[in-house]
Amino acid sequence: MTYTVLGRCHRTGRLGIGIATFSITVGRYCYGVKSNAGVTVSQAFANERNNQLALRLLAQGFTAGSVLQQLLANDPYFEYRQIGVIDRSGTAVAHTGPRTRGWSSHVTGENCVAFGNGLVGEEVVDAIAAGFMAEPDADLEHRLLMGIEAGRDAGGQGTRERHKTERSAALRVYSTDTFADIDLRVDLHATAVEELRRVWTEYKQYEAYYRDRERNPSGATGQEEFMKTLRAAEA
Amino acid sequence: MTFSIIARCPHTGRLGLGIATFSIGAGGRCEGILAGVGICKTQAFTNRGNDPLAIELLAQGHGPAHVMRMLEQNDPNHAYRQIAIIDREGNCAAHSGSGTRPWSGHKIGKGYIAFGNVLAGPQVIEAIAAGFMAEPEGALEFRILAALEGGRNSGGQVGAQGHLTERSAAIRVVADPDYPDIDVRVDLHDDAIVELRRVLEEFKRYEVFYRDRGRDPSTAMTQDQFVATLERSA
Repeated sequence: MTYTVLGRCHRTGRLGIGIATFSITVGRYCYGVKSNAGVTVSQAFANERNNQLALRLLAQGFTAGSVLQQLLANDPYFEYRQIGVIDRSGTAVAHTGPRTRGWSSHVTGENCVAFGNGLVGEEVVDAIAAGFMAEPDADLEHRLLMGIEAGRDAGGQGTRERHKTERSAALRVYSTDTFADIDLRVDLHATAVEELRRVWTEYKQYEAYYRDRERNPSGATGQEEFMKTLRAAEA
Repeated sequence: MTFSIIARCPHTGRLGLGIATFSIGAGGRCEGILAGVGICKTQAFTNRGNDPLAIELLAQGHGPAHVMRMLEQNDPNHAYRQIAIIDREGNCAAHSGSGTRPWSGHKIGKGYIAFGNVLAGPQVIEAIAAGFMAEPEGALEFRILAALEGGRNSGGQVGAQGHLTERSAAIRVVADPDYPDIDVRVDLHDDAIVELRRVLEEFKRYEVFYRDRGRDPSTAMTQDQFVATLERSA
């Protein structure tokens, strides 16, 4: 039981993942994103090797469709897997195996995969895609978060009678660097999507400060000094 | 303002890092760890490009001391960085630049480096090392957690206005290049190391279940069934 959005920004080529699930520490399954290569997540009964294999194939230049076919051909349990892949050109594909549990499906569009399993119904993946597409020119991390919040608001995981809480969630975005642009996680929480929004909102206040002190340390102020300016701005 | 440990388990060759800091989301700046290759962690006024670059250099076969020289040559602000590097054999190199904020320093032990900046003093680094060495036969993730707890208990971070709490913390341990063994994070919390212990202990109850259901889904129980077995055994 998990719901996820993979996205590529049509303006910048940035690539990212938004994910929420009942399982704890889901962020440890979200290393399948790399600058100028692509983005992928394997979930349901996840094959723990798929993400890096897919990234290596994407980096070699295989298209998303070809990568997905290779993952399926490589895996005797492909019927249990749910996989999304977007390549660097924005082609998006997905696979939802017939043996994944509960209500399980995906939708794909250019630059976007919305997919999940153990969901309350079809409306959840549609809501994720709609949330992602609501502000197509906004920053990718914002759109990914809007996608999973929309999935939650449409009922998320479980059954119509009994909602399954989101205990972990994660947001990762790569731009052109060898390291993540945005990498935020909630590993164990009673309402992980709400908590991810709180962490993201706080982090956004510091984002430029953290970046600039790294690039120009000689001119940087201490973090305590920076926080005084935050507090003064709030007052 | 950060205290960290990077280490290689002498029994298994597993590589791990632990970090705690006042900044938010520290675990999102820990890309420099790869099974069978090594670890590089840059902090203080960090250079985010250092860690992925160092992993590439270690993978090419360079040793930590030489990798450190190449990072220095590549970075006009090397004096502001604090960097620790371990290779797949446990060889170590560390650098606490003169431009990092005091108290700043590192301790190189056998197969590990304890390091930090904006700390209460050198006793913090000593306590990290002592925590790590307290149970040398233990699992690497718990040795790393004990190291972070040791650092916190000896005063942790102290800035211009006094003690600074740990708002984020993370532990990663790798044995396979494709996925982490242990990867737990707290990104924003009033007491991040306490919360990190809670997350790690909870994860350890699920670790085998999560691994096995992916490797053989045809025989896996549902997570609801598994949680019920946890509750029965509690």
